[in-house]
Amino acid sequence: MKAISRGEIHMKPRWHFILLSALYITGAFIVFLTLLYIVSLGVFFLRDSGELFAPSLGGRGWFSLLLSLPWLLILLTLLFAGILELLVRRYAFVYKKPLLMSVFGILAIIFLGGFFIAPLHHVMMLSARKGQLPPPLMLLYRGPLRMPPPSDTYHGEIVTLTSSGFVMADEDHGTTTVTITPQTRLPYGENFTTGERVVVIGDSGATGTVQAFGIREIDEYPEQ
Amino acid sequence: MTNEQTDEEIARRVQAGESDLFGELIERYQPKLMRYARKFLFDPEDGADLVQDTFIKSYENIKSFDASRRFSPWIYRIAHNEFVNALKKKQSSRTTFAFDIDTLFPHLAAPETADSAVLERDLRESLERYLDKLDPKYREPLILYYLESMDYKEISDILQIPVSTVGVRLGRARGILKKIAADGQNIV
Repeated sequence: MKAISRGEIHMKPRWHFILLSALYITGAFIVFLTLLYIVSLGVFFLRDSGELFAPSLGGRGWFSLLLSLPWLLILLTLLFAGILELLVRRYAFVYKKPLLMSVFGILAIIFLGGFFIAPLHHVMMLSARKGQLPPPLMLLYRGPLRMPPPSDTYHGEIVTLTSSGFVMADEDHGTTTVTITPQTRLPYGENFTTGERVVVIGDSGATGTVQAFGIREIDEYPEQ
Repeated sequence: MTNEQTDEEIARRVQAGESDLFGELIERYQPKLMRYARKFLFDPEDGADLVQDTFIKSYENIKSFDASRRFSPWIYRIAHNEFVNALKKKQSSRTTFAFDIDTLFPHLAAPETADSAVLERDLRESLERYLDKLDPKYREPLILYYLESMDYKEISDILQIPVSTVGVRLGRARGILKKIAADGQNIV
């Protein structure tokens, strides 16, 4: 108390705490936006490659999705979710809840938001293809964060219909001939048309023709 | 005059610039915080220094105190941070503050039964004798609940853990304490 009376110890001004709170809230908001971006990018990659729709083809489709998950993005999501939890844990509305609940709450909000924001990446990717984005973003959308598709999974655009199936072209302009058999799983029917994008799970034969185990059309984002 | 005022009213006046009134808060809280330190740290010298540090930090940060809330959990939170940091420095390998499954998902191993007055008295006796045998994680809620007479919500605010976790830790702490007491009596 003597030190206080002598003026050796000072109260920190109120603006110091307001600034500190503002920094925490801003930091949390930036991390939240980063998380939204990362998760929506992951959702976009999976949807764009058609892997997100593969589970409709059964267990093999689920396995294909699992192998295609963008693990680097998932690790970044967990890292940033941890940082966000640390930043907001000082607030009573967070620490009053069990840690597991608040982490799940954060992830649920982020994933829900991620699905809504994913179409934005479609626009970004189209811009990247036209060379209208800065180089780091071009690189981001071109692929280093995408997982290569499993060896039995193909996706592309149907360019020619054949008597036994179709020929499809991938982004690198390579073509794959796909054969449809009576056993092929076609959850949305077999009325394929040229220009349609599809994901195919199947085994490639000696001739390079893929005998389809299952085919599912890729739901396109609305044209901008 | 200040004796009739609540802690929160005094804190508000200190915030407004009446620094000398902080002495009244020191008078009110020094015995309580010294007891808390003594029971939690078992080191009277360190305890006195840490309580002094607590008051210095409280004074420096008093403008961050929301006077519409209770003063007691706020100052105990500062003391808790000081004590835990001191314990971490002293016994980093033995202290288990870093991660706790109970804050992750609080659940009781077995339902608690209502303690009778006799059991309560036994527990308080055990508390006096065997408190130092408990892990700080369990020791602290016991001190705050039984010795500082705080409720679950206040303890939750001081330790910044869910109220349900406070209940779980208290339940576990009571169980451990009873076991230690029973083992002690068997040895005697």
